[in-house]
Order: sequence, then C-alpha cells, then structure tokens
Amino acid sequence: MPNTPEKPLILVIDDEEALRDGCRQVLEKCGYEVITAEQGIEGIKLARERMPDMVFVDLKMPHMSGMEIIEIMSRDLPDIVLVMITGFASIVSAVEAIQKGAYDYLPKPFNPDQLRALTKRGLDHRNLKIETKRLREEKDRMEKNFITFVSHEMRSPLVVIRQYIEALNEIAGKSFDKDVKEIIERCRKRVQSLEEMVEHWLDISRIENGTLAQQKVSLSLASIISRSVEEMTPLCRKKGISLETNISKKLPQITGDAESLVRVFTNIIGNATKYTPEGGKITITVKNDEYYTTASIADTGMGIPLDKLPLIFEPFFRCRGKDEKIIGSGLGLTFCKKIMESHNGGIEVSSKEGKGTTFVLTFPVSDNAAKGNTGHTSKSI
Amino acid sequence: MTIKKKILLIDDDKDFLFATKLILEKGGYEVFMAEDGKTGVEVWKSIAPDLAIIDMMMETWGEGFSVLNKIRATDTGKETPLFMLSAVDLQGPYNSFEPPPEFPKVNKVLHKPIKADDLLRMIAQELSGK
Ligand SMILES: Nc1ncnc2c1ncn2[C@@H]1O[C@H](COP(=O)(O)OP(=O)(O)OP(=O)(O)O)[C@@H](O)[C@H]1O
Ligand SMILES: [Mg+2]
Repeated sequence: MPNTPEKPLILVIDDEEALRDGCRQVLEKCGYEVITAEQGIEGIKLARERMPDMVFVDLKMPHMSGMEIIEIMSRDLPDIVLVMITGFASIVSAVEAIQKGAYDYLPKPFNPDQLRALTKRGLDHRNLKIETKRLREEKDRMEKNFITFVSHEMRSPLVVIRQYIEALNEIAGKSFDKDVKEIIERCRKRVQSLEEMVEHWLDISRIENGTLAQQKVSLSLASIISRSVEEMTPLCRKKGISLETNISKKLPQITGDAESLVRVFTNIIGNATKYTPEGGKITITVKNDEYYTTASIADTGMGIPLDKLPLIFEPFFRCRGKDEKIIGSGLGLTFCKKIMESHNGGIEVSSKEGKGTTFVLTFPVSDNAAKGNTGHTSKSI
Repeated sequence: MTIKKKILLIDDDKDFLFATKLILEKGGYEVFMAEDGKTGVEVWKSIAPDLAIIDMMMETWGEGFSVLNKIRATDTGKETPLFMLSAVDLQGPYNSFEPPPEFPKVNKVLHKPIKADDLLRMIAQELSGK
C-alpha cells in the first residue's frame, strides 16, 4: 500500500478538461495528490503504474466507456476505490457501475462539497477494507500455524505412546496375565481414538482454510465405492453385517478427489456398521439422471431420532452424547459434509428409529460440475 | 553364535527411537540410533548397517530425503534396504504417498506407529530376500 502513509493519491479520468481541472483544484486543496487522464487506456495504464487510492471515472467518454474502465479496474486492481461520474443523473448506469465493482457514483453537476465528502468517505472505506483484509490474512496465518502446531505437537506424542505399547507387548506381552493385557489394550484403543479425533479435526480445519490437499480429476464413482467397500468388508464380516452394492452400469464420470471421496464412503459405511446390530444389512445403491449421480447408503440399524437428525453433521455431535457406548468423536459426518460441499455435491439423511438410516449423496456429473464451477476458483492445492 | 544383523534408526524423536529399538532388539537385531540426519549419515558410514529406517520429516520436511540421498551415495548404501517412516495422516489423503520416481530407491514406506509384528516381518523379508 504505497500511498497510505503519505498523501492519498487520486486519479481522475475524464475527457473534459474543465472537469479534470476543477476536481484537481478541490482535491489538492484537501491535501490529496491528484493525477489525471483524458481517456480510458491512458487512465488504466496510469492506475497500474501509480496505484492510486481512489479513481473517479466519467461514464461518457470516447473510445472506452467509463463502464468498461470500472469493469477492468475492479478486476485487476481490486484495492482501488472506484467512483463513477454520471452525466445526467442516470440511475441505471449508476447501479450497473456499482454491480461492476464501483464503490459509489457522483452525478453531474456536483459541487466541491459533494466531491470532498465522497472522497473522504471513499478513502475511509478503502482503509477499512485494507485493515479487514490484513486482519483476515493474519487470522488465516494464525490458523495455519495452529494447524501445523497441532499436527506435529499433538500427534507425535500419541504416535509415540502407541509405539511404546507395541514395544511393551513385544518385549513382555507373553508374561502378562489377562487383566494386564486388557488394560494395555484399552489404553491403546483410547489413545488411538484420540489420535483419530485429532486427525479428523485437522482434516476439517484444513478443508476450512483450503489447505487440504485435493486433486480433482474426472473419475468413476463406481471405483470409489468399490475401493471403500473393499476396505470396509472385513469390518462388516466381523460384525456379522451384510454389505450389498447395487450400482447402475452406465454411470457418467464425476469430478472429484479420489482419496477424500473414499473417506466419505468409508465414514458413512463405518457409521452404518457401528450403529447397526449384528445380522443387519447395508445396501449401497447408485443411480443417475442427466445431471446428478446419486449414491445412497442404507442400513437396518438403530436409526436416529427425528429431533437429532438436523444436528448430526455438526462437529462433535453424537446422538447419545456421553452415553454413547460406541467409540467416536462426532466429527466423521462433519468431514463428509465438508468434502461433499467442496465437490459441489450434497449429503442428506433420512432415518426411522429402530428401523434404519439412509444417507444420500448427490454429485453433479462432470460436465455440469465444470459449468457450476466457472468464476469460482477451487481452493484445492 | 551368529552375528546379529545391524539396523540403524534415524529419527528426531527420542521416545520413538527408544520404543522401536526395544522392538528390534527383541527381534534379535543390534540397533544403532541417530537423532538427526547428519549423525545418521556418520553412523551409517562407520558401522555399515544391514538396514536403515529413516524418518521422513525430521525437523524440516525433506531432511529425511536428503539423508536418504547421502546414504544411497555411499559405497555400502547402494543396495542396502532402506525404510522410510512417515507420520502423516494415517487414513488421510496422503496415505497413498509414494516417493516420486526420481528419488533414490526406498524399499518400504511405513506409517507411524508401526505394529511390532509387521515391522519385524518386513525386516526379516527384506534381509532374507537379498
Ligand atoms: N448410520 C447411522 N445410524 C445411526 N446413527 C448414526 C448413523 N450415522 C451417524 N449416526 C449418529 O450420528 C452421530 C454423528 O456421526 P459421526 O460419524 O459424525 O460421528 P461418530 O461416528 O460418533 O464419530 P467419528 O468421528 O469417529 O465418526 C453418531 O454419533 C451417531 O449417533
Ligand atoms: Mg462416524
């Protein structure tokens, strides 16, 4: 921000010499530095070189219209406060200019007081904007540092404790009696679930500040599901729950990050196994229409009470709270929801207590996803 | 009595070194430890181990890799099995991490914590396969 500590720099772009001179006189008297340009191209060039704090642009000019100038500048030089000078109070152009990124408009004829007041307000606005941006950057930086801190300083002790437990079992496991073994195993499980909680929390924070590594490519949902099913089959078998897939043959490609999508499915299938008693069934069905591919994961488990349904995607929320006998952090579904959002997709749930729960994931098909994405840059790295 | 095979462990976490050393000793190996990359390379040169396990993320990202490069560049280090350790997300998006092809050969990438059985089995496999 080269101009802030010194005199604010103001650029006036107008083809009328009288107006340029008039503005210059008024604004210089207020202690601002003023530069002027006669037409668009020259004005934009000058703005790029000198980075003024504020620019006044006349709407009606030969060659390049004020509207075009506003459009280019608000895109290329977003920190500059832009004001459109409109000929005869044309409210339509004023509104258009503001939509295109102008801060305000100034209808001709205007008097020195009006010019002064608007300039002061514009500059205040700019300072506020810069300050907000600085604070936001500071906050992002702190968050990132905190994430790095947590991922190193909290994770390593947990990893080490588990490694010690491994060592303990290895060097003396044979001589432990049943109770000792049980205590050690319980410790191991608790540490592991704490580690998973840290892991989940880190992932969610990374999605939030855009540092979760995601590689969005065109991929087939069927392969994602078969990877997840493969991963979860041993657990289902162990728990005596059957796992069935029903995938339509001709699925269109979707755009996504394979690793995180596999985790979305393993999380949801994992929940289904956790909250479904022995003998239950999990059914995965994938269908598609022209625009969406829909995957539903239905279980025959304990279900979720109606009043708890809206809350299950909230961080740390668990339906049975502290009474929950099954281990978990309540972050699994938060992760799934964030990942689905980052894929322009959706996640919904329906459930009947005692009967079962169905999660429905919707993905826009690739072509569509690309369209939906225009103008919005993906934050993935 | 057969001579014990020598394993070098390089990691900047003392406790991790100690825990892993206990496991390896129980498995019948002679264990050498180094807490930083530089010492690791020196120990490597002086004892010529049969296998080394190197943490990928000591202090700075990449220190593990530079140690790996240096070891591979020594006479004894060309063919010796080397394992890399990573503590990155167990089930995270990085779990598919594989060193890029231009990196010197790594025989295995292991995630922390390592199960004692798995570790001993993989080492035995690697050492008998040669
Ligand atoms: N398929 C399901 N059937 C019944 N209840 C479910 C199901 N899936 C989720 N829930 C409820 O929603 C809550 C939140 O689920 P979520 O996956 O976010 O957390 P969790 O499973 O408790 O822990 P973790 O973070 O380890 O996944 C669970 O605690 C459970 O009460
Ligand atoms: Mg869960």
